[in-house]
Amino acid sequence: MSKVFFREALARAITEEMEREPRLFLLGQDIAEHGGSYAETRGLFERFGAARVRNTPVAEAMTVGFAAGAAAAGLRAMVFITYLDFLMLGLDALVNYAAKLRFKSAGQLTAPMVVKATAGAKGQGPTHAQSIESWLMNVPGLTVLAPSNAGDAYGLLKTALRAPGPVVFIDHKKLFPHGGIVPEQEELIPIGSAAVRRSGRHLTLVAHSYMSVLALEAATALASEGIEAEVIDLRSLWPIDWDTLIESARHTGHLLVVEEGQVACGVGAEIAFGLRERLPALRVARLGARRAPVAASAVLEAYTIPDAQAIVSAVQSLLTRTDSGQPK
Amino acid sequence: MLKKLLIPIELGEAIEVRLLLWCKTPGQQLSAGDALLEFETDKALVLVSAAQPAVLRHCFFREGDWIKPGETVAWLSDEPGEPLPAERDATAEELLVGFDVT
Repeated sequence: MSKVFFREALARAITEEMEREPRLFLLGQDIAEHGGSYAETRGLFERFGAARVRNTPVAEAMTVGFAAGAAAAGLRAMVFITYLDFLMLGLDALVNYAAKLRFKSAGQLTAPMVVKATAGAKGQGPTHAQSIESWLMNVPGLTVLAPSNAGDAYGLLKTALRAPGPVVFIDHKKLFPHGGIVPEQEELIPIGSAAVRRSGRHLTLVAHSYMSVLALEAATALASEGIEAEVIDLRSLWPIDWDTLIESARHTGHLLVVEEGQVACGVGAEIAFGLRERLPALRVARLGARRAPVAASAVLEAYTIPDAQAIVSAVQSLLTRTDSGQPK
Repeated sequence: MLKKLLIPIELGEAIEVRLLLWCKTPGQQLSAGDALLEFETDKALVLVSAAQPAVLRHCFFREGDWIKPGETVAWLSDEPGEPLPAERDATAEELLVGFDVT
């Protein structure tokens, strides 16, 4: 095991997969000589050359469309979108072409491509901060991954780069300053497998991406009050690892889903309802951003997005509530 | 007088940094402007130079180690023979340094 920066885990996964698969090439703004918006492609241009590490203009619709076309024609593309917000410009190509290609062609064509995009609030205002992964979960044909640490980013990205259809790989600005452990040997993490980060018997606390880091902080604080939270990191938003979630929720009886995006039609809505369909007695709660854009003001940003304390409060409220929703 | 070298807390939003290189070894005299060590954040390379004369006395981290901002990285002193404290967290003035960020 060795410790690396989050960006280095991505770079290692990409390097190994580009060496393995000569048809894989990269597209994105500033990914060549500059080395990427987060320094995650540093060294790749020098190693693999201009034909496989291609700078693109500020034109996400074109970039995603180009990748989908190239993938359908037999190549394998990875697209870098600096902020997940900007993927809105590429949604037509991603949703209408890449995600539907296999269905429309009765399996004759596929679009093996990965769109990597960086979500999350970190002081950059309303159009560079959104967590819209639940929009993508709604699209048939898309796989949506969201790791919370360097080791998972490495293993999941490698799997994504071998996947048959389009994958959206979502990381988070606040994950980049962290070091994390990656395996010495090549190791892949299957799509659709959640990770139990901490065992507990009082409730199941579900999160993904950076919120998993905060969920673990909250769980530590809760343990000092005698509340044992089982923390599950989804890692894969679609497909969802229902088996792991059901097993946990069945023995805890309580579920809180935390996300940085909006609560309405969010990740938590899907997880909570999906689990209630299977476990009707489960008590569920959701926590996410307040219904406002993420502000440029640091004070308002912090007010909008859940933090560890908000998770602790939501857990306390869930565990003390009666079936009617009233406090016990 | 004893001095300590810290990884500055106000260093962007770094949560951990990786020590890349010691430019001096314990016992060596530094003049103002001499490069002392280089470390890496998630985005940048940072070369730390002494901004005042001092003798490097003891390094707590080796090349490749991970350090949290605010941790004491090394002891220095004005004179080579000054006694060193037993505790890493002992109070001491911070060495004046300069940074070169690339």
